[in-house]
Amino acid sequence: MEITLFQGLMLSLLAFVAAWDKRWESFFLFRPIMVGTLAGLILGDVTTGLKAGAIVELSYLGLLTIGGTVPPDPLMAGMMTVVIAIRSGVSAETALGLSLPFALLMQWFVIAEQSLASVNNKYLENALKERKLKKFIRLVFLPDTFMTLGYALITFLSVYVMQDAITSFVSAFPEWLSNGFSIAGGILPAVGLGLLLTVMVNKDNWPFLIIGFFAMTTLNVGNVLPIALIATAVAYLIFLRDKKQDEIKDLVENNGGGESDGI
Amino acid sequence: MVSRNKLDKKTLDKTGILSILYQTGFSFERMQAPSFALSLVPGLKKIYGDNEEEVCDALLNNMDFINTEQHVGSLLVGLVLSMEEAGEDRTLIKSIKTGLFGPLAGFGDAVVWFTCLPITAAIAASLAQEGSILGPVFFFAFWTLLSFARIWIVRLGYNLGANAVSSISKNAKYITKAAGILGVTVLGAMIPNYVSVAFSEDLVLFGTVGVQSIFDSILPNLLPVAMVAMTYSLFKKKVNIVVIILLIIALSILLTFLGWM
Repeated sequence: MEITLFQGLMLSLLAFVAAWDKRWESFFLFRPIMVGTLAGLILGDVTTGLKAGAIVELSYLGLLTIGGTVPPDPLMAGMMTVVIAIRSGVSAETALGLSLPFALLMQWFVIAEQSLASVNNKYLENALKERKLKKFIRLVFLPDTFMTLGYALITFLSVYVMQDAITSFVSAFPEWLSNGFSIAGGILPAVGLGLLLTVMVNKDNWPFLIIGFFAMTTLNVGNVLPIALIATAVAYLIFLRDKKQDEIKDLVENNGGGESDGI
Repeated sequence: MVSRNKLDKKTLDKTGILSILYQTGFSFERMQAPSFALSLVPGLKKIYGDNEEEVCDALLNNMDFINTEQHVGSLLVGLVLSMEEAGEDRTLIKSIKTGLFGPLAGFGDAVVWFTCLPITAAIAASLAQEGSILGPVFFFAFWTLLSFARIWIVRLGYNLGANAVSSISKNAKYITKAAGILGVTVLGAMIPNYVSVAFSEDLVLFGTVGVQSIFDSILPNLLPVAMVAMTYSLFKKKVNIVVIILLIIALSILLTFLGWM
């Protein structure tokens, strides 16, 4: 399916809006599940957009911008996976692997932008020292204006200008190679989950990992929501217990201090 | 003596909505400083009225490095406004803010990024994979609601004052632990649900026994667990994520080339 100029422009508008939201991390429009679905909508194939968006979402789940680190770009991964899957007619799993170069390109772009934006802080402070409030407000928005326009431009080049090149590259693949990418697409969510584990698991809560796995494997629930509900109940009980325990501990210690001279 | 006006509810709510744009102007040097200052603008304008010099001085006091979870950022915005309104010493404001953003970031990350995001993403993804548009609709609705909850978070920070916010950061350890338990349980449930890998049915040992059926008889979903264990240990060994992704792609291609998968 050829991507029309109008669709190309709509996709870059989507990238522009989602890039602002990626900076704010507010509405989570920049997450692959949202970008993927909306890109599918623009290209007239919502089903592929949904399915591909879900696969990319899970693969990029642990790749978070905690503490200012920049991971491979989830926005561009969601966008390009859906675009490649629909334009080149490959499976969503195969397209996920092929979107990696674009996600890396945007990772480097964002690192460069956030480094350059450091220069802006000096001008921000100068504006405040000169007591120019309006100038200060304008300057706050300046670096991200360039950043989001960059997203729009790179998206337009990738989805519209380069579409034939990408498609002929993909269609030149032998069957075993595209099957390999497809298998990789099934395994890649393990990267997102593995990375989340490194920040979430500790010596106190690891048994719950086994409980969650066991519940999903044996109970035929099909969705994580029922398990999340049970886990919420357990977490709340443990929250109450910990709080109570520390209160009792404090009480005992305080009494001990008061009676120290009496005994 | 500088005259100060009281903040009203309207100004605070405006601040809450403006703080949805928190992290605008992010850079590696000061991180969220420009947008923290930006969020203070409506409140400071109300407090100091036409006295733009005083507004700019207060903003300059908030241009230091800050990096916290974005919803927690809104709490601190409310707190700083209440202290500016009370005419507290600026050095005190700065040191309280600097002392709080780190511990509160750990709390915010545990609740928002490691609990809310995996759970909402898991629910949205399972709906989306069945072809239901409700997945992304639910996801977007949840995060939009949380964005506008910042109106309430700013009010909370403003009303609580410095001592109460400090006590939140003390209580935060219980909530952080509980959120961790919830998150980790769901993570365990997501492994069999979302990692799909199995050997080809054609791959048999001794002409009869399917390799995959051996794995299934030991423990269902053993291969997905093994894959997550592998990526986990590679991350623990500080292997670069791009290397891990490329390794998985290369391994998959090799196994399909050999006809094992």
